[in-house]
Amino acid sequence: MILVTILSPFGAMLMILLLRRMPVTLALTGATIGLAASIGLLSTTFNTTGSELLLPCLPGMPLRLVTTPLTVLLSVLVASISTLVVVYAIGYMQRDDEKARFFATLLLFISAMQTLVFAGDWILLLAAWELIGLSSYLLIGFWYQRPGVGSAATRAFLYTRSADLGLYIAAFVLIGSADTSEIAATLDTDGNAALAAGLLLLIAAMGKSAQTPLHDWLQRAMVGPTPVSALLHSATLVAAGAILLIRVAPMLPPEALQIIGIVGGITTVITGLIALGERDLTRMLAASTSSQYGLMLIAVGAGVPLAALLHLIAHAAIKSSLFLGAGVFQHSRDSTTLAELAGAGRDRPRIFIGFALSAVALAGIPPLSGFFSKDAVIAAALASPEAQLLTPFALAGTLLTGAYMARALRILWRGDARQNHLAGLGWMGSGMAVLVTLAVMLGAAFPDIARGLHATLPESTLAQGLGLGFALSGLAVGWLVPVPRLLGPLLPLARQGFAVAGGFDTWMIRPARAIAQGCEQLERNLYNGVLAVGGYALGIGRAVRHSDDRGIDGLVFALARATVNLGHRARALQTGLIHREMAITVLATALISVVLLIALTVY
Amino acid sequence: MLPVVSITLFLPLLGALLVMALRRASPTTVHAVGIGTSALTLLGAVAMWSRGVSETGFAQLEQIDWMPAIGAAYRVGVDGISLPLVLLTAALFLLTFIYSAKVRERSHAYVALMLLLETAAIGTFTALDAILFYVFFEVSLVSMYFMIAGWGHEDRQRAALMFFLYTLLGSLPLLLAILGLYLGSTPHSFDMRLWIDNPPLTGTAAMLALIAMLFTFAVKIPVFPLHTWLPAAHVQAPAAGSVILACVMLKFGTYGLVRFALQMTPDAFREAGIAILVVGVVAAIYGAFAALAQNDLKRLVAYTSVNHMGYIVVGVAIAGLAHDPAIRALALDGSVLQMISHGLVTGALFFLVGMLQDRAHTRDMDRFGGLLKTVPVLGWSFVLAAFASLGLPGLAHFPAEFQIFLATLRVEPAAVVVILGIVITAGLYLQAISKVLLGEPRASLVTMSDLGPREVLTLAPLLILIVVVGVAPGWVLDIVHTTTAALRF
Repeated sequence: MILVTILSPFGAMLMILLLRRMPVTLALTGATIGLAASIGLLSTTFNTTGSELLLPCLPGMPLRLVTTPLTVLLSVLVASISTLVVVYAIGYMQRDDEKARFFATLLLFISAMQTLVFAGDWILLLAAWELIGLSSYLLIGFWYQRPGVGSAATRAFLYTRSADLGLYIAAFVLIGSADTSEIAATLDTDGNAALAAGLLLLIAAMGKSAQTPLHDWLQRAMVGPTPVSALLHSATLVAAGAILLIRVAPMLPPEALQIIGIVGGITTVITGLIALGERDLTRMLAASTSSQYGLMLIAVGAGVPLAALLHLIAHAAIKSSLFLGAGVFQHSRDSTTLAELAGAGRDRPRIFIGFALSAVALAGIPPLSGFFSKDAVIAAALASPEAQLLTPFALAGTLLTGAYMARALRILWRGDARQNHLAGLGWMGSGMAVLVTLAVMLGAAFPDIARGLHATLPESTLAQGLGLGFALSGLAVGWLVPVPRLLGPLLPLARQGFAVAGGFDTWMIRPARAIAQGCEQLERNLYNGVLAVGGYALGIGRAVRHSDDRGIDGLVFALARATVNLGHRARALQTGLIHREMAITVLATALISVVLLIALTVY
Repeated sequence: MLPVVSITLFLPLLGALLVMALRRASPTTVHAVGIGTSALTLLGAVAMWSRGVSETGFAQLEQIDWMPAIGAAYRVGVDGISLPLVLLTAALFLLTFIYSAKVRERSHAYVALMLLLETAAIGTFTALDAILFYVFFEVSLVSMYFMIAGWGHEDRQRAALMFFLYTLLGSLPLLLAILGLYLGSTPHSFDMRLWIDNPPLTGTAAMLALIAMLFTFAVKIPVFPLHTWLPAAHVQAPAAGSVILACVMLKFGTYGLVRFALQMTPDAFREAGIAILVVGVVAAIYGAFAALAQNDLKRLVAYTSVNHMGYIVVGVAIAGLAHDPAIRALALDGSVLQMISHGLVTGALFFLVGMLQDRAHTRDMDRFGGLLKTVPVLGWSFVLAAFASLGLPGLAHFPAEFQIFLATLRVEPAAVVVILGIVITAGLYLQAISKVLLGEPRASLVTMSDLGPREVLTLAPLLILIVVVGVAPGWVLDIVHTTTAALRF
């Protein structure tokens, strides 16, 4: 069953690549079979203890796929969102002539994410983690001929790869201290190893989940097709970071939790402000994703990973439907800038209603799903030992969410409608409709999920009241107050993405290039230095030219000569003149060493 | 029992003699002889693989007396460290012959030299007698020199000279060390098995021998600052020469590092372990940064070789430093697998750069653009090989590097900074992909033709092997691990 969830999208990808036809049918079949298998697992696993599948890999370190209530739940989430996104993409990509490549990459992405979810050992987790990076690189760079797309894809991969070093080293630390690569067994680690591993994993998660200061790549990744963004931002790439932290939460010591909470808190505020100042709809949604993952990190930091999980699930449905709505508006106006989209909601009122429902759900208005999950996060923050620190962050995040969603809704609604025909609207609409329904209804399933995972949520009427209050005031402020007045002096900063002195480019890329140039300079000097070793080299050089001029015969003769010389050397040994040979060699070696030393010291 | 090792070893030499005998044959015939001979050699290597290795030292031994007075003999055999390298060598030579079937210029000499080089390479990996090893080691050098000087690009004379100077002078200290080991052994013998079972030298003598060997292998691998011959030789060598140089001949250095330095002077190696580790770390990081600065695709790939070979040095140094046999085996498994992976991946990359140069007559990245649209098969092959080279899981380098880094962290945690290399290589390959393959196709390049059948035949086996080794490294690692788990020193 586990293998079906992974191999069915993967097999569909191979079929598409081999057959080069029927990409749509194959993609839909692969995704649906995977979804069915996930749901099948869900019905069995919640009643039993779960199972494990071993596959051979490195000596003594087999690959493991595990089914636990948590992994199966996440798998269902990934499978359902991705299947709906595939349905939507059938409409969205109707006019594109490279459908085969698009759906193949999308399916690779899905199977990599399923592998990540089920991974029961660090090697497989790491492998899936990086393959997700690869497939998102390929998807973000899908329209590689357009200007700026290549650099955005490169940036996304580099940001996450740099942060991935944290995962690599954390995996080494954990495998080293537990002497096994099985994740469940390594979670018993404690002491300094656990703290070090926890912080290193946080770095990896910050890269994937686009947490401050590594948030910049996510907004730029918007150059990819919109269904890709819907998938990246909801249940897959970005979710991987939070999923990692949720899974290792039992191991994290209090110091690590505190830092995770603070990182999440800062991110939710900073990226919330960026979203508020944004002039582009999809970029705004991207910043909002970082902000919502910040809230999840707050919940992990507060010691209630279940709250983070619930918000992850609710956010996955909400954010994917928001992106799908944005994709329809984009097709309808051929742009994603808010200025061009003014009034786009009136072009497609039904899509707008779905978009608005999801937006309100994200803001946290009952009885929509976002209310329950956000309430859980705030309650977790209130109940944690760091309540004074984490609660203000969580409430500020809630306020900002309401504000930027209300602003977007206002812009989409205020303006003139334009009439135009859209190809593939049926597919897009049906994919989105199911997701919106999920975004609305999912809250009802939360108590069952909590029971299935044998965990309880902290309950608090104070949290509900606060959450609702801040969400409503956020919506009101966002609808009524224009952004320049709201942000004041922060606006220019927010529009630059709060990049400190140029951000990643200044702190990472430029020094790397400088070092590279330094190495190149050193290379030239070394090369010239060795060449300049002088007459010795020149003499041989003349001989070389001479032999080369004589063509084939010269080559063969010289070859024969060299062989004869070797024979002489061997014969010399045989006749017992070892000591003379040795003396010659010593002298020669000494000469070489001196020459090289001089060459090295001169340059 | 058929002496499969010797047959595999001397088949290419026979082929070379046949080519020389067929002086009047057309280039097509000559290339057919080359391809046929190397295909038979590969068959021999596969037969060796099927016979496997033993847990107690070397397997498939074949021995003939040669110079009994001084204890030198013709001795060949394999273990889990050399067998994968023999298979890699045989496979790469066959592909190189297929790729080179277009060479019309002095094709007799070309094919004969390549076949001679193949015997020398297989001989280096299978020799169990130090004199025999040294002879093969040197013969390979001579053949490669003529390859560069005879069929290279613009500035080949200087590059060939540099190559010759470095590696010839570089190999003299090895001779000195061999003589030292010979004099230290009782009774005097050149049998490498005896030297491995009972390291003949101790104390200062062992350290001196180790230093001499390290010098030789450091030039060959190559590590900073003895690597300057490498980019020059690679850039000027013909594509087939680059492939053999990078994928087979660089392995002489790391193979020697394990076989001679680590196994024959283990105590001195442990004492010098930290220094060797530092050298490996510096080489890996320096190679990555130097590659980042390149605009010439071939130089870029050449410098990433310095980076990848640096990881192997790190792995071997860690194996020498480790006290726990399990970690030592882990580090050596990773190092040997890395040699194989580097052979496959860098081979594919050099072939691809060669194919690009055949078409565009330039290697300057800034003069390409949008090639993914014009030549999709070539473009996607490059993407796959580049991602393999930057260590993506599921492709050949990942299992090897994972093992090396894991062992490193467990023995010398500080040395794990070497992992920075994988970010830098990611950066440089993505930049190369971005410049060469992405964007709008250049007007001057839109007529470029995609890969022909000969080129696909060259590349496809490599790309398939890259994936197979990456997904299921077990079939190589089982052979390697049989030997590394049994090493005692």
